[in-house]
Amino acid sequence: MKVLQSFHIEPAALSLVLAVIVSSNEPLVLLDGNLKVIGASNSFCSAFQIDPATVSGKHIAELGQGEWNVPQLISLLEATASGAAEVHAYEFSLFRSGQDTRLLVLNARRLVYDNKEQTRLLLGVADVTAARANDKLKDRLLLERSVLLQEVQHRVANSLQIIASILMQSARNVQSDETRGHLKDAHGRLMSIAAVQRQLAASSLTEVELRSYFTQLCKSLGASMIHDQKLLSIEVLVDESCVAADISMSLGLIVTELVINALKLAFPGHHGGKIVVTYKSDAEDWTLSVTDNGIGMQSGADSAKPGLGTNIVEALSKRLEAEVEVANANPGTSIHVAHIKRAIAPTARAV
Amino acid sequence: MLKKPVILVVEDHPLIRLSALDIVNTAGFAGIGAENADDAIRILEARADIRLVFTDVEMPGTMDGVKLAHYIRNRWPPVHLVIVSGKSVLAESQLPVGSRFLSKPYSDSAIAAELHRLLGISTDGASDLSL
Repeated sequence: MKVLQSFHIEPAALSLVLAVIVSSNEPLVLLDGNLKVIGASNSFCSAFQIDPATVSGKHIAELGQGEWNVPQLISLLEATASGAAEVHAYEFSLFRSGQDTRLLVLNARRLVYDNKEQTRLLLGVADVTAARANDKLKDRLLLERSVLLQEVQHRVANSLQIIASILMQSARNVQSDETRGHLKDAHGRLMSIAAVQRQLAASSLTEVELRSYFTQLCKSLGASMIHDQKLLSIEVLVDESCVAADISMSLGLIVTELVINALKLAFPGHHGGKIVVTYKSDAEDWTLSVTDNGIGMQSGADSAKPGLGTNIVEALSKRLEAEVEVANANPGTSIHVAHIKRAIAPTARAV
Repeated sequence: MLKKPVILVVEDHPLIRLSALDIVNTAGFAGIGAENADDAIRILEARADIRLVFTDVEMPGTMDGVKLAHYIRNRWPPVHLVIVSGKSVLAESQLPVGSRFLSKPYSDSAIAAELHRLLGISTDGASDLSL
């Protein structure tokens, strides 16, 4: 056992060290202070097509066909051997003739152990070629996705523009003031939804913060639908909830319909008033409410219903697995849209 | 009576173009339409009275609205530019200096106000801007 003697280590200990290295799944190389190989793992030899029988005693620059003989790598290892540096996550491209370039991440450190006179380096080699290619593919897919998303946004904006154009052209051409008012209302509604659509498009986030969303929506609704904003105001009380973009869209449309409805029905004769939009959530459960302090529900069964937007509100609520409830707010009307997952005793619900 | 300032509207969608021309005319200008950038350049070459070009960005053909805007700025520097796009955010640096950007869908009053501002005509002119 000539090799063992030359390293002045207890033969059993060295043999154990070499056995550990040879069997390592991670490609590992044990080097002496002159960068000569003491042992290399089988995983290293097979990954880089080096005959395991030839490695021992060779300088790292002589391994394989000399592809490891790269000045930067050698100088880094020499600095590590002298204790001046450490190779930490050094990225290295391994070029071999007739084969694909491999992208490697190297880590090397000087081993600290009982024998202070001997320098030993442990070099770890990770092949990140596939991982990097994967990252590149992911980047490309993300880019493609954002291009597609932009295309969709552009189409949506164009479609909204066509509808807005038709509404305004009709408004300019009709004789009746009442019809013109309706068309302008519809245009205002469309523009407010478009503004929100734009906000959603601008944020690349998949989740939407409801408070700022509802605040912007109500501001825009107020600007286009309320004639005297000193008399009539919309207040937004929303907790810290964030929801998925498509859910926020449904919630926003419900708020739009309920607020427009309150503006149309609750305050006849231009008296002042207030509309409050609230949203509260608790784990899976949430409640969206739109409350006004207007004239309240009339005794007739028809007026208790939320009017024109009923179908929209009901359809969207169904989609969100929520129930719509109309209550007397004394004064005014309160409409609650609630998504409650927990089972509630039927008696508790009969309000 | 003074001649109305001429505005060239470049928009590939016929309905939107018609409506944009309507906005321009209602705001007190003389609007003429072009379907694409090539069409617009032909018109600009043929007549010297165009004060402002109001163009969409996304258009089929050799040039989009951004390229057209740069082309116009180089070749006819005095012509004002209003650029609209369905893309919500266009980098300002992509557009010629001094041009105005609005995202679609735009409202009539926003466009009319921009046209009046750029052409220096007061908004309390004869046109009805309440729509």
